[in-house]
Amino acid sequence: MARKIHNLLESLLASRPERCHEACFQPSVDVYRGQQGWLLKFDLAGVRIEDVQINLQGRRLTVRGVRRDWCIVEGQQAYSMEISYNRFDRTVELPIDLVQAHVASEYRDGMLLVRISQGGTSS
Amino acid sequence: MSDMQGVLTQNEPQSELTLPVLPLKSNVLFPQLMMPLVVGRETSVAAVEAALSTEDKTIIVVTQKVASTEEPGYADIYTVGTLAVIKKMDRTDEYVQLIVQGTQRVKVLDVVQQEPYLQVTARPLEAPSDTGAEVEALHRTVLDAAGNIMEMLKPQARAGLTHVISEVKDPLNQVYLLASMLTLDVEKEQALLAADTRAEALQLMHKYLTHEAQVLELRQQITSQVQSEMSREQREYLLRQQMRAIQDELGEQSPEQADVVELRKKIDEAELPEYVQKEAERELGRLERLPSASPDYQVTRTHLELVAELPWTKSTDDILDLKRARQVLDEDHYDLKEIKERIIEHLAVLKLNPEAKAPIICFVGPPGVGKTSLGKSIARSLGRHFERMSLGGMHDEAELRGHRRTYIGAMPGRIIQAIRRSGVRNPLLMLDEVDKLGRDFRGDPASALLEILDPAQNFEFRDNYLDMPFDLSKVFFITTANSLETVPRPLLDRMEVLQLSGYSDEEKANIARQYLIPRQMKETGLNAERITIPDESLRMVIRRYTREAGVRELERTLGRLCRKVATRFAEGNEEPVTVAPDDLPDLLGRGRFFEEDARRNLEPGVAAGLAYTQVGGEVLYVEAVLLPESKELTLTGQLGGVMKESATAARSYIRSHADELGIDEERLKSGAHIHVPAGATPKDGPSAGVTMATALASLYSDHPARSDTAMTGEITLSGLVLPVGGIKEKVLAAHRAGLRRLILPKQNEEDLRELPDHVRESLEFVFAERIDDVLTAAIPEVELKAATV
Repeated sequence: MARKIHNLLESLLASRPERCHEACFQPSVDVYRGQQGWLLKFDLAGVRIEDVQINLQGRRLTVRGVRRDWCIVEGQQAYSMEISYNRFDRTVELPIDLVQAHVASEYRDGMLLVRISQGGTSS
Repeated sequence: MSDMQGVLTQNEPQSELTLPVLPLKSNVLFPQLMMPLVVGRETSVAAVEAALSTEDKTIIVVTQKVASTEEPGYADIYTVGTLAVIKKMDRTDEYVQLIVQGTQRVKVLDVVQQEPYLQVTARPLEAPSDTGAEVEALHRTVLDAAGNIMEMLKPQARAGLTHVISEVKDPLNQVYLLASMLTLDVEKEQALLAADTRAEALQLMHKYLTHEAQVLELRQQITSQVQSEMSREQREYLLRQQMRAIQDELGEQSPEQADVVELRKKIDEAELPEYVQKEAERELGRLERLPSASPDYQVTRTHLELVAELPWTKSTDDILDLKRARQVLDEDHYDLKEIKERIIEHLAVLKLNPEAKAPIICFVGPPGVGKTSLGKSIARSLGRHFERMSLGGMHDEAELRGHRRTYIGAMPGRIIQAIRRSGVRNPLLMLDEVDKLGRDFRGDPASALLEILDPAQNFEFRDNYLDMPFDLSKVFFITTANSLETVPRPLLDRMEVLQLSGYSDEEKANIARQYLIPRQMKETGLNAERITIPDESLRMVIRRYTREAGVRELERTLGRLCRKVATRFAEGNEEPVTVAPDDLPDLLGRGRFFEEDARRNLEPGVAAGLAYTQVGGEVLYVEAVLLPESKELTLTGQLGGVMKESATAARSYIRSHADELGIDEERLKSGAHIHVPAGATPKDGPSAGVTMATALASLYSDHPARSDTAMTGEITLSGLVLPVGGIKEKVLAAHRAGLRRLILPKQNEEDLRELPDHVRESLEFVFAERIDDVLTAAIPEVELKAATV
């Protein structure tokens, strides 16, 4: 029992505090800060751009969507699997008011890039 | 947000899903929780593979109703399951490892296919979202109870856990998380999953938590009890260790410890059989723990000492050299040819078959004939240890078999004590006076002897005190008795009886010459140069100063004689002393017995009979007188029933054969009085029949019987003379008394062979078949009459 609790604790504490409501995976994100503003890189390989949605609310930016496995070959069996599919959800909190900022997104080579420039108007 | 919903609904219609099923045997997957799974069943692997070949990697996880069902169908699974996404998957040779994460509860509607994997249609269930005061209250209660349980389980983890639980905002999800933390039964977990409202789930959870708390509390109580017991023992152990260390340091040992150590040493050295060793170890362990002040301490200690000292395995090797044995027996005892032969026979058997059971021999004979010393020399000839104990007057079974240890002052029985004294398990154990065993309300020692003397039982003789079986089968038992009449039949049955009869004067002289005089001389510090006892003097000592079947009195008298002579030397006399017959009155006083036992002249009505007593044979005179005024037959002299009857039979015979015997009619009318001296000694038995008949015949015919003739034998009414026992003793008594003519039953002729040659040769024997033979031989005048009639 103690071990079971321990394992659970591990897995729970490992997940981020900003958990999503639903059960979904959280893509990794790098956050950069520069003169022009912020750059967020989301690791979202294999995701179709139409399945991604970006949401802004106060200081929080949320990326949600679904990663579908589009590369399924008939007659092949999965032997091992590590990539998370299905719904994902990631929220990043920044020290600026995002509603006032200019936000632009770009999807390239499996990365979703989100650029935020301060002082501008939202797009 | 509306777009997002669009995304979700686009490919996962809320209405109905058709998906593969992964049945769980003893787990429930809750929404929002991850679970590692190991999948081994073929159908389940197929289901997982099917799920992995979809874009979404979704699968329905449902719990089986019965864990042992291998290929569950619709009826075998719960209808409420969980929609899950397969997060990770890895294969090994035998099974597939998965991590799945639950997303949503589903209601299983129908089975679409069973092969190659179970596939069902299911409808997603809305997450319950009821709110209100009741839910709020329940929620707080559950959180409290959960907190308590967490504390009981792992106090240091409480803070962290509370944090984790509080992170999960939705009460329902908290319930799910708690459920996965506690070890709940599958049925309970499934009930939680199936709960359609938060209130229901919270209520269930509360019930479970309360139960868990009770179980945990009980478990903790048990654990703490065990721990406290453990710690007490540990404490004692530690203290003992410390005490030992201190004592070692001081170079001393507590007396009890020294006892135990010494006992352990003794027991280790004693080569105990396994079952005894085990028992002894157990008792030693007990002794170590007992305080020395406890009464049990002494009891256990003395018992262990006995166990250690008993010769469980020690034994002596028998010397089975027949020539040597013969020599030893001859050295110690004169004559007793038959007995010695029997003993040699036993040794011969033991030589041929060393495993043979030791015989149980019973020596029967008058006192002082050498029964005990014969036992000693058998032990010596065999090379066995000798132990003797007297059973005379023993009347308590416990004396033989011991008292149980529960009694204060309990001791092992005499048998075990004798074995312990002897120090070996095969001593020669002499049980003296087996005919003088008592018996009363405390038990019957003879019955205990039955077990001890039975080779079929005594290999595991159980003494009450010892309380472990001891093997007595190697013990050589010899019992002695003066007479067999009082020895119980079953006991007699177990023994081989060897009769030792009394010695004749000639034999006594030889015994004195060879054994008694040298021994007494040695004891009084004389030697053959200082004292000479000629044959005539020795014979006089035997005849006038002693009267016995054995030689004990003779040895004492000779001892007295030697002491008198020794006194003279001590007073300064230097001359060698020859003890002439005339010196005897000076040295020993007046002779106590007279050689002239035989009456010189007999009155009519007196006849010499022979009796057999425990101290040997005896001559006794039957006296009869006429009672003219009476017709009765009066008998006196402490006669027993048998003897009275044989007197009546004798009188009836004489009366009915009066004519042949030439008896006067008138005399026959008178009554008679028969007296058998000495009046104070009780007498019984049929062997005086012929003597009484002779006395009566002599009385009624008024002719005296021959004074040199003694007789014995039983008579019948028809005038037959029947054989009797103790012939050798009786003949020796007659010989001693100076009677030279004996009338014996014809059938006892064979017994004369037991007599020493010199006795047989100096006597005249008349063997009678009928009473007429006796009367004619005993009363000379009757002989004449009978011849003429």
